Amino acid sequence: MNALRAQYPEEVERILAKYPAERKRSAVMPLLYLAQRAEGYIRAQDLRDIAEICEISITDVASIVGFYTLYYDQPLGRYHIQVCTDLPCALRGAEDFLRQLSEKLGIGVGETTPDGLFHLEEVKCIGACHRAPVFQVQGDGEIVFHENQTVETALAVIEALREQARAAKGEQA
Amino acid sequence: MTKLVTLTIDDQPVSVPAGTLVVDAAKQIGNDIPVFCYHPKMEPVGMCRMCLVEIGRPMVDRGTGEVLLDENGKPRIQFGPKLETACTTPVSEGMVVRTQTKVVADARREVLEFILTSHPLDCPICDKGGECPLQNLTMGFGPGQSRFLYDDKIHLAKHVPLGELIYLDRERCIQCARCVRFQDVIADDPVIGFYNRGRRLEIVTYSEPGFDSIFSGNTTDICPVGALTTADFRFGARPWELKSSASICTHCPVGCNLTFNTRREARAGGNPVIKRVMPRQNEQVNEIWICDKGRFAYHYTESPQRLTQPLVRRGDGFEEISWEEAYQLAAQKIRASQNLLTLTGGRLSNEDLFNLRELTLARNGQAVLYSDMAGGDLTASYGLAPGSNFGSMGKETAILVVASDLHEEAPVWWLRIKAAAQRGARLIVLNPRSTRLDKFATHTLRYAYGEESQALATFLPGAAVPEAYQAAVQEFHSAENAVIVYGSEGAGLAASQGLAQTAAAILAARGKVGQVNNGLLAVWQRANDQGAWDAGFRPVEDLPAALRNVEVALIAAADPAGDDPLLAQALEETGFVIVQELFMTETARRADLVLPVQAFTEREGTLTSGERRVQRFYPALPPRPQTRPDFAVAAGIGKALGLDLEGRAASLVFLRLVKTLPAYAGLTYTQLAEVTPQYPIIGRSDLYYGGTAYDNHQGLGVQLPLLPAARPVAVGQSQTAASVTAGEGEILLVPVTRLYDRGNTVLPSALLHQRLAGKTIRLHPQTAAAFGLNAGETLRLSRDGWSAEAQVELDEEVPLKMALAVRSTGIPCSALSAVRLERLTVASAD
Repeated sequence: MNALRAQYPEEVERILAKYPAERKRSAVMPLLYLAQRAEGYIRAQDLRDIAEICEISITDVASIVGFYTLYYDQPLGRYHIQVCTDLPCALRGAEDFLRQLSEKLGIGVGETTPDGLFHLEEVKCIGACHRAPVFQVQGDGEIVFHENQTVETALAVIEALREQARAAKGEQA
Repeated sequence: MTKLVTLTIDDQPVSVPAGTLVVDAAKQIGNDIPVFCYHPKMEPVGMCRMCLVEIGRPMVDRGTGEVLLDENGKPRIQFGPKLETACTTPVSEGMVVRTQTKVVADARREVLEFILTSHPLDCPICDKGGECPLQNLTMGFGPGQSRFLYDDKIHLAKHVPLGELIYLDRERCIQCARCVRFQDVIADDPVIGFYNRGRRLEIVTYSEPGFDSIFSGNTTDICPVGALTTADFRFGARPWELKSSASICTHCPVGCNLTFNTRREARAGGNPVIKRVMPRQNEQVNEIWICDKGRFAYHYTESPQRLTQPLVRRGDGFEEISWEEAYQLAAQKIRASQNLLTLTGGRLSNEDLFNLRELTLARNGQAVLYSDMAGGDLTASYGLAPGSNFGSMGKETAILVVASDLHEEAPVWWLRIKAAAQRGARLIVLNPRSTRLDKFATHTLRYAYGEESQALATFLPGAAVPEAYQAAVQEFHSAENAVIVYGSEGAGLAASQGLAQTAAAILAARGKVGQVNNGLLAVWQRANDQGAWDAGFRPVEDLPAALRNVEVALIAAADPAGDDPLLAQALEETGFVIVQELFMTETARRADLVLPVQAFTEREGTLTSGERRVQRFYPALPPRPQTRPDFAVAAGIGKALGLDLEGRAASLVFLRLVKTLPAYAGLTYTQLAEVTPQYPIIGRSDLYYGGTAYDNHQGLGVQLPLLPAARPVAVGQSQTAASVTAGEGEILLVPVTRLYDRGNTVLPSALLHQRLAGKTIRLHPQTAAAFGLNAGETLRLSRDGWSAEAQVELDEEVPLKMALAVRSTGIPCSALSAVRLERLTVASAD
C-alpha cells in the first residue's frame, strides 16, 4: 500500500491532476513537499511511495532530494529558523543577532534543539534587507517572516512556537 | 540524404552531414578535441567544459542576407567573445573552428586544473591508471602543477559498493554523468543518480539489489576516470600488463564481440589467466556494449572443477585412460552398434558441429540438437538478409517481437530494438505477459499461453483480425520493411515450430524475404543453435525415447540428465554413452566414457549468431594439457573408425565445412577476419572518446546468404491451450527464460550468485490460494517419472491455473505441459 497516498489521498490526486497522465514525473517536487510536511523530512518510505506514484525509479526521486537544499533527508527539527546574514543584513547586525540567538538556544548553527523542535540555519538573502535582522520560520507547512528582530523578540517567537507545539501535543494526548 | 555542411577546423576543410557536432566533425578528420562528459553514443550535455574551442562564423549583412567578404574576397569570420563547447555546438556552413590556439590551450589547462582540485591522484593504485582519459588528457593538456593546496583536498569514501558488481570511488568521480545518462538513456534502468551538488555530489543507487541493471558493467567502460570499477577486475591487474584476445560471447545468440584480457600469474603457475572481459566494437552486432552476463559469467572456463583427463566407467566409478584408448573404445562401441545418436548443445563451434555431423552421418546416425526451439531451417531461408542491422532500422521498418522476453533472452538485441523503436521503427510486441520491451512498443498485444501461433497468424495478409489486433496489423503491413523476432516464452518445440512457420509464411506472403532489414530472427536459447541447424542437427520431439532406443549416444556440450530426470532415466537405458564435456555434469556422471574438452577461450573456431553472422573467436588461454577441442575429439573417434576427418586445426575443418554446407560456401577465415572502418572511432588511442571498449581488428564476421526455401512454407499449428489442459490438482507449467540462469556455464561465476534465478514457481495469487499456498512456501510439482520442489512466488500477471518456471532451475519444463501440484507439508517433506 502506498502510505503517502493513504495519508493524503486528496492532495496526491490534486497534485497529479495538474500534469498530463503520461508526465507523472512532473509531480515529483510537489509530492516531495507533501511528504516533507508530515515529519519535516523525507523518509526512505516516502521515496518509494513517490517513485511508485510518479512511475519513476526511486533513485530518480532521491537525486531530486539530493539536488535541492530545501528537501531534507534527515530529521532536522520541526521549525527551521533561517537567519539571513548576507551583507546588507550583516550591516544591520544580523551576524551578532545570529550568534546571540545561537547562544540563547544553546545550539550551534546547523544544529537542532534536543527537543527536536528548532533547527537553526544561516541562509542567503530572503529579500528583506531593509528590515534586518530578519529570519523566517519554516514549519508545519508554513513560512512566516519576522522582521526588525532583536534576540528578545526572536526568543518570544520561539517560545510561542514551543508553547503551540506543547499544546498541540496535549490535545493529541 | 542529409545535407552536407562544410566547415574548417584548424585550416582543414571538412564536410559533414548537417546536425553533426563540432567535436564529431573534428574526430572524423583525426582532430581530437578532448572531452570527458561527451560520449558519441549519447546526446551531449556540455557539463565538463573540456571541449572548449574558438568558433567563428561568417558575417552576414542583415539587410541583404549576404555573406560579407574581406578585401581578398573571402568571407569575414566573426569569432564569439567566449569559447564554445565543441560537444554541444552543431556545425554550420562556413564555420571556422580553432582548437590549437593559446586561448584554447589555456582553457583546457584551467579546466583540468579545476577538475583535479580534489582528485586524489591515486593513479598508481587505480584500476584505470594506464587507460584513463583523465590521466591521458592531463598529460596532454593539463598543468604540470596545481595552484590548489594538496593538503586542502577533500577526501571522500573510496570503496562504495553500488551493489555487488560495481564499486564507486567517490574521490575520483569528476561528475560527467556518463554513467547516469547511459543507465537512463541507453539501458532504460535509471537506477543510479546524482545526489547533492558541488563537492558533495555523489553517485547513489536506491534499487534493490543495488545498481539493478543487466548492463551495469558498461558504465565502467565509459567512466572517464577510475570512479566506477567492477568487483571482478578491481585491483586485479594494471591495464598495460594485459594481453588481448578477440572472442565472441557464448551465452546467447546475439554473438557480442568480446576481448578477453589475460595476464600471466604466479597463482596459475605462470600461466595466463583471464582478468576481465571487455566489449569489442561491432556496430552491426553489439556496438560497444555487452550485458553483465557476458562480462562476468566467464569464470567457468577456468574453474578448478574442469575435467582434465579422459575417463572410462569401471563399475560405479571412473578410471583415467589415455586418449588413444578412449578413441579406440568409442570406435569399437560405435562400430559394434546398429544406431548412433549424436546430441549436441549450441555452445559448440561450427567446426565442432561439422565434425560431429560427419562422424554421425558416416555411421548413419541421428544428429540431434539439444534444444526445445525449432525453426532453424526456416531462418536459413527466411532469416535476416545479409546487410540487415538493427542499428540502421528506423521508421520504415516494422519489428514484430513474438513470444520473447528479449531483455532476459538476448539483452543486446533488446537494447538495439529499443533504440530502433526510439528512432521511429514500429515495434509490435506480442507476448502473453508484460515485458521490458512493451514500454517502447507502438502496439502491445496479448495472447494466452499456448495460442502464440494463432495470435501471430492474424498478421498473415488476408487473415481475420480481431478488433484488438487491427491497428497493429495495419501498422505492420504499412511498413516498408518487416522483421519478425520469435522466442521461446512459454513455447516448446512444437509451439516454436508453429511460430517459425507462421512467421515465415507472413514474410513470404508480404514479399519481405531477402531484402536488407527484413526477415525472421530466432531468439535461440544458446549461442550457436543456428550453426547447429545449419550443420544439420535437429531437435527431436521425444528425446527420452530417442535416447532409450539407441545403442550409442555421443553427447557434446549438453546436460540432458541435469535438466530433466526423464532424460536421466533414458540415459540409463542407452547402450553406451560417450560425453564430451567441460565438467562432470549429471550427464557425464551417467556416461560410460567421458572426454574432457577445451573451453572456447582455449581454442579457435567460429560461431553463427541468430542473425546468421559467422564470427571468429580466438584462443585467449593455453589449453589444459589433457584436453582437446570438440572437433578434434570427433575427428579422433572418426579416425579410429577409419573415417577421413580433419582434426588438426579449426581452420582446416572450416575448409571442409564450406565445401559441404551450402550457406557457408566460399567463406574463409580470412574473410571472417576482415574489418571495415566503424563509427564512432574508439580504441586505445581514443579512450577519452568512446571508453575502454576495444576496437575491432579481428573481424566483423560475415552474414550468411539466405538459402532458397526447400518448399513453400505452411502456416504452422502450435499446440493450443485446448490441447494441453490442466486437470484436477494440476497446473500448466510454462517455461520462461531468465538471463541469469543456473546453467553449467553460469554457476561457476560466484559474483553473479545473488542475481541468479531461484528455484521458484510463479503463480497467480488465486491459483496459489486454490492450492492452499502462500508466498515463499514450498510446493512439489510432479508428472510421470519426476518430481521437483520449488518455492512459491506470487505474480498477478500469471494466468490462472498456470505456473511460470525458469528454464535451467531444475524444474523440467521443455514445453507447456500439465503437471501435478501439491503443497508440501512438513510431514511429506521427507
